[in-house]
Amino acid sequence: MGIPTVTLTRNEFVGVVKNAVSGIGLAPDTAMVTFPTANFLPGADLAALAARKNEFYDALTKWTSGKVKSGAGNMLCVEGETYEDALGRANEMFIANSWGDGLPLWPATPERVNWILRGAAQPRAHVLGKFPPRGAIVTIEACAVALAMAGGRPEYLPVLIAAVEAFLDPNATGELLQATSGSPFPVVIVNGPIAKQIKLNSGFGLIGPDPQHPAGASIGRALRLMQQNLGGALPGTGTMAVFGHMRYTNAVFAEDEEGLPAGWEPHSVDRHGFKRGANCVSLFYASGAANIIRRGAKKETLEEDVVQGLHRVAGYMRVPDVHYLHGYTEGTPGFVVISKVVAADLATMGYTKQSIREFLYEHSKVPLDEMRKAGCMAWMEIAATAAARDSAQQDPWPIAEKAANIGLIVAGGGHSSHALWLQAYTYGVIGREIKLPAGFNDLVGEADSANAAATNS
Amino acid sequence: MIKLEFHDPSGALDKAIPHAPRLESFAGKKVGMLSNGQWQAYRMLPMLKTMLEADFPGIEVISEDNFPQGNAFIGNEDVAQQVKDSGVDAVIIGNAA
Repeated sequence: MGIPTVTLTRNEFVGVVKNAVSGIGLAPDTAMVTFPTANFLPGADLAALAARKNEFYDALTKWTSGKVKSGAGNMLCVEGETYEDALGRANEMFIANSWGDGLPLWPATPERVNWILRGAAQPRAHVLGKFPPRGAIVTIEACAVALAMAGGRPEYLPVLIAAVEAFLDPNATGELLQATSGSPFPVVIVNGPIAKQIKLNSGFGLIGPDPQHPAGASIGRALRLMQQNLGGALPGTGTMAVFGHMRYTNAVFAEDEEGLPAGWEPHSVDRHGFKRGANCVSLFYASGAANIIRRGAKKETLEEDVVQGLHRVAGYMRVPDVHYLHGYTEGTPGFVVISKVVAADLATMGYTKQSIREFLYEHSKVPLDEMRKAGCMAWMEIAATAAARDSAQQDPWPIAEKAANIGLIVAGGGHSSHALWLQAYTYGVIGREIKLPAGFNDLVGEADSANAAATNS
Repeated sequence: MIKLEFHDPSGALDKAIPHAPRLESFAGKKVGMLSNGQWQAYRMLPMLKTMLEADFPGIEVISEDNFPQGNAFIGNEDVAQQVKDSGVDAVIIGNAA
């Protein structure tokens, strides 16, 4: 702003605040007065605030920054008696500098990065933006470095690049969700033929891990490494995620397009308006994944199975969840994932994706008294959009501005027993086209050949 | 010896722009408050306002109620512009995050 500021924050938020100022182009340092969390709790004694008032005054009149920003990225080097020794030293360096995730990584050697870059449709120096909140510059090469470290392959790179583009979209609000204590993790849903070409999972165990479908783990791990190493989301200093979930690989999977009943459009079409058959990603942040037993028992008709199952899903959604307010207007309260078997039963009973959403929307409304008892009314007052703030007038309270906000995709193992509820903590649901390089099919062919050769060896 | 060279995964940062210069004093200055509306901001920021006004006669403190509140707002460009338009010389941002 060009105006001197001081931030009143918690002791453990120093890293978060420094990342935030770095992301807006300042040196990674700022005037702060910090207190333990206990000082910010209801009923806290504020004597400490009075005792330290001069620190606020000094911060606005005397403070100077002692930090400078580093410049261009460097090449690093380790030496070892053997290759294995050097590899171990490289991994020790990753851990010592907080660049890793605790599991072994591939050092991003020039050879490996060049190999990965064969999957890029853009030049290696092409800039996608700055990774929030820390603000490191995101190039295609930076994506390739992360994917190399995560054990990825060239044919995965187009999906990672599209996911990063979606992540960097201002409507994704990555600068908030990276730092928040709420532990959101990116979910990347892929539509289009690329999913099968690179062996992304859309069936049993799609959240992973799955050695038969390794792409999602590598792509998601690379995105997570970028969130940490470029974006500064280091637990306890850059991301205040109290628990953190799905933070080794995030969640990267494909919709089971072959399992869509006749007349049902893929998620990419009905949420983002992409052409059917286009390769694209859809990114949102989830704060949890709940398995719901949706199948009935004993004597039941198909209609009872279908309707009771939907009621059970709606029951999981019908909660006084403050996260719903973040994506109330443009985002989503969450994604329901149903298998092709369940989708087929629903279609047999005449349901479409939209009519399922409408059913869930109507039956997930929360009595306003529940919202009051849970203290959600104050959160509504400071919600980001007018629709979210005005929703306090509705009883029962709809968990989103409109039914269309509810995500619904067909994926998972071909089984009727369960549904998955990916509760969102997201401001937007961002779609991006996946751009393929010339020669992409050759990369896929090489991967298939390598896989076949390794299987036989 | 085996030498292994690889990319630094922390990437590159732009050259930093300088922080805003500090005030020489609070005499005749206007200080604004920005709040996320959480973590007892409703108690702490007014307390700071009261202390500033007591310690620096002539200072004007614009309370947080004059600007949008909430994490969704206080970092955005519109609010930054509102703060600039208010003519404040310095800002205290709270709370706790």
